[in-house]
Amino acid sequence: MTKNAQKLSIVLASEELEKVHAASLIASVAAMSGMEVHLFVTMNGLVPFLKSTQAEGRFRTGVVGEALRAKAQPFTELIANGKELGTLKVYACALAMDVMNWSKADLIDVFDDVIGVSAFFNIAAGGAIVTM
Amino acid sequence: MAQATKTIDARGSFCPGPLMELIKATRAAEVGDVLEVLSNDAGSAKDIPEWAKKMGHTVLYVEEAEGYWKIAIKKER
Repeated sequence: MTKNAQKLSIVLASEELEKVHAASLIASVAAMSGMEVHLFVTMNGLVPFLKSTQAEGRFRTGVVGEALRAKAQPFTELIANGKELGTLKVYACALAMDVMNWSKADLIDVFDDVIGVSAFFNIAAGGAIVTM
Repeated sequence: MAQATKTIDARGSFCPGPLMELIKATRAAEVGDVLEVLSNDAGSAKDIPEWAKKMGHTVLYVEEAEGYWKIAIKKER
């Protein structure tokens, strides 16, 4: 990432809570620091964002994830704070949603849109992209 | 030492909690106000000054007290 990058896009493709938390934390702090941030959630990355997963509280975690759950802010709060205090947009991957037969209503209320890769590239153009 | 306009006690909160509290307070503050954060999270003691520099605010001090840090910034814009 270049020092002056003002646009950051994050691709989250994992349901591991540590990666979900890291992506949410980086996204929210970047947004609060004045960057334009786009979080594209794809594949199993969508699982922790399902209302059913949130209701059951069943996340895939390792030791750090367990400690995060006990002590840190939930990743959903990090995203909400980033949205409130900066420019942070969250997208769900259209392909994963289609193959799983999920709709936006199955996801918690942080998603701005369900989009495909071409739309994501248009949104991310000119900025840095990191994959988690 | 500059007198803090507002002190935010974020002790007990992990990264990025203290930073978020400071950002909220900075938004509500006037230019020239001095905002002090109390945090027992070591990560925040490093991260808050970095954020302040990036945003163009002045870091007045990062002091270690007993088991926590006192960090003050002056809102510049």
